[in-house]
Amino acid sequence: MRVLVRVAVAGVAVAAPWIVAAIAPGQQRYIVHVLIFTALFAALALSYDLIVGHVGALSLAHPAFFGVGAYTAAIASTRGGWPFLADVAGAVALAGLVAALAGIPLFRLTEHAFAVGTLGFALVAWIVATNWVDVTRGPLCITGIPKPVTTLPAWYWLALTALGLVLLLYRGMTTFRLGRAMHAVRDNEPLAAAAGIDPLRYRMLAFVVGGALAGGVGALYAHYLSVFCPEEMTVALTVNMLVIVFLGGVGTLRGVLVGAVLFTALPEILRLAPTWRLVIYGLLLLVIVIRSPEGLSGLVRGRAR
Amino acid sequence: MLADVLEQLVHGLTLGSMYAMVAAGLALMLGVARLINFAHGEFFMLGAYAFWYGYRELGLPYPLAGVLAVALMVVWGVVYQRTVIRAILPRSWHVQLIATLATSIVLTNLAIIVFGTQPKEVPTALSSTILDVGGFRLVWQRLLVLAGALAIFWGLHRFVSRTRAGRAMRAMSQNREACAVVGVDVQHVAMITFALSAALAAAAATLVSPLFNIFPDMGTGLTLKAFAAVVTGGFGYVNGAIAASFLIGITEALAGSYLSYAYKDAFAFIIMIGVLLWRPQGLFGRRLGI
Amino acid sequence: MALLEIRGLVKRFLGVTAVGGVDLTVAAGELVSLIGPNGSGKTTLFNCVTGYLGADDGRVLFRGADITRAAPHRIARLGLGRTFQHVSVFGRLSALENLLVFVQQHQEENLLARLVRTPRVRRLEAEAVARARTLLDLVGLGAKAEAPAGSLSYGQRKLLAFAAALMPDPELILLDEPAAAVNPTMINQMKDHILALHRQGKTVVLVEHNMDVVMDISQRVVVLDHGQKIAEGPPAAIRRDPGVIEAYFGR
Repeated sequence: MRVLVRVAVAGVAVAAPWIVAAIAPGQQRYIVHVLIFTALFAALALSYDLIVGHVGALSLAHPAFFGVGAYTAAIASTRGGWPFLADVAGAVALAGLVAALAGIPLFRLTEHAFAVGTLGFALVAWIVATNWVDVTRGPLCITGIPKPVTTLPAWYWLALTALGLVLLLYRGMTTFRLGRAMHAVRDNEPLAAAAGIDPLRYRMLAFVVGGALAGGVGALYAHYLSVFCPEEMTVALTVNMLVIVFLGGVGTLRGVLVGAVLFTALPEILRLAPTWRLVIYGLLLLVIVIRSPEGLSGLVRGRAR
Repeated sequence: MLADVLEQLVHGLTLGSMYAMVAAGLALMLGVARLINFAHGEFFMLGAYAFWYGYRELGLPYPLAGVLAVALMVVWGVVYQRTVIRAILPRSWHVQLIATLATSIVLTNLAIIVFGTQPKEVPTALSSTILDVGGFRLVWQRLLVLAGALAIFWGLHRFVSRTRAGRAMRAMSQNREACAVVGVDVQHVAMITFALSAALAAAAATLVSPLFNIFPDMGTGLTLKAFAAVVTGGFGYVNGAIAASFLIGITEALAGSYLSYAYKDAFAFIIMIGVLLWRPQGLFGRRLGI
Repeated sequence: MALLEIRGLVKRFLGVTAVGGVDLTVAAGELVSLIGPNGSGKTTLFNCVTGYLGADDGRVLFRGADITRAAPHRIARLGLGRTFQHVSVFGRLSALENLLVFVQQHQEENLLARLVRTPRVRRLEAEAVARARTLLDLVGLGAKAEAPAGSLSYGQRKLLAFAAALMPDPELILLDEPAAAVNPTMINQMKDHILALHRQGKTVVLVEHNMDVVMDISQRVVVLDHGQKIAEGPPAAIRRDPGVIEAYFGR
């Protein structure tokens, strides 16, 4: 039964552009555009959830990896003439590498310092993006990033494929022994260690894979918009991710997907100005995080004793 | 050459004073109420706008505008404490972090909506007057900042060590459960601590605003640097936070001037990571067991 | 060669010496109890041995290998299992899954093998599940295999933690107060399980306050007081030792 539902959902997702064309032909371009964004942010949110939801590390560094990936793809394609797949692969690799290098000192910090440290790291990444003008053109942004496909439906299927890959990797990592180990580290670290699980290893694994995937999504994002600016790497992105993950259901695949659909599509459809959107998101996040039963945020708190 | 270095040193002390006042408030909240407040920088930002409003729009004299800013921030601090903080105080620090981060975003964007993104300037008499001693140039306002900071820290020290409220705060920072048992009104002390840290940030804003521009985003970076200072100094230790703040301020000024101006904001975190890798408990923190 | 050797272990906390130079040797197959009044340093010693605390001085050797500075997960993988004083389980996982977490010896397998359910991985998984069920039945929790660990009673969680520690088939197992805060029936169950382990040839060291249990099942008793070893020997001798009596009652 569940398989049937999943196949149906997947089918609808794949057929979406045609469905939209049939239902609302005049709006098709806009709606498919929103769907593309939704798919990309869903993939990004899943990569974030690996770190926050499954291994329980409150990282605020995700915008940095998103940015590294985006800039890598942008620079490689505009200046190096790299083909699409190559620069996306490069983006994933470089973002993962940066995550690994950053993770080494960061994971030596205690929980609180770790959160602050990742936030600081994200800020430093933004500073570099804004100031390393020779490479990133700073506030002038990198423009003219080539598009591998030109029609919107094609972009949608590209984004959907990426989401599908991320989804498979997410499932693979969060189930069976690997998933159990990660959850053990999240829920009761001393006990996990007594079980022979190296907490650092799994934290780094989630962090690096999550970061690498974020880089990949960043690369796609940059190619889609043809432009990438430092503003895309600010803490607003973290808030976006937190909202999607926490209000959707942290640590659960379905929750994150639902959250992504709700919190990417909805504001686009409502055509909120970015500032108002952030105000509303912030308030929502505030209210939900305060009022939620321990179950929702308890997942991140871990230490089930 | 020497004049340059001295100027940068003074600049560093100014920055350090600003960071220290903000970080002290943050450390207080952490030490006394175990609260992580990511919206702390917004006390500074809103305080700066309040000061601007009083000084520029209402035409109040400098000290009065400062008092207005501090008073408004204390009021806001109490409101914030009674609404958001009270709800998140008993919760895990993850909840606190996310809730206060959300608050910060809301406040920043509301400020953009209300005040616009154009930076505001509040030049005062002292910020426009320069003392020139044989090539060494000093803006008077900077001396005011330093003097003001020292006066405030002295006042803070007296408050914490002499008054009943201060004693309660110190007791709470050491053993919260015992305090509740002995009859200390934990919420009340938390509120006072909160008002105090809001006042500190507003005072800093009043002293420093004439030197820098005021813009809605200024709180975010400040919060982070304040946290960097708090973490570097040893979580919850006010003196540690103050010392670390001056370290950060001076490094920023000197390194920003002689190494790289564009990346000056990164130094705070480089220092933090460096110190923590060497001493995970921070400069003055104590290493505990399991 | 002794299985576990502790030489001159010292641990201080903020000026207080919790463990002040303790020597302890455990041979393979022994059943040793570590007793002492509150604050004598027993659990601190445990935590130092198992890697959760860093010793300030001294050495710990397991099968001849120096594990003094080793991390807890490495020590666990070497074959040294433990339980915790305050019962520790993964509350959100089922009893069965709790045990499955402890099967990590296939760590050496590469990531790809974990992502792809190869037949070999599937077989290993099935074997682990079978073994887990056997252990659960052994401690009488067979019926509760699918229940979330958080829903079990304190005593049941204690048994669960015990079973979980046995999953990786450790050579030496350290039990931290296995008889604490449970009813007499459970205590007897625990005693039986511990003796069964002993009969299988496993080495057991327990920290315990319950004198009946200690005197009943131990081969050898080691007494700590104020971080020092003050007596060591068979239960009967310890019971009569004046130094031990003084430590417990003379204060």
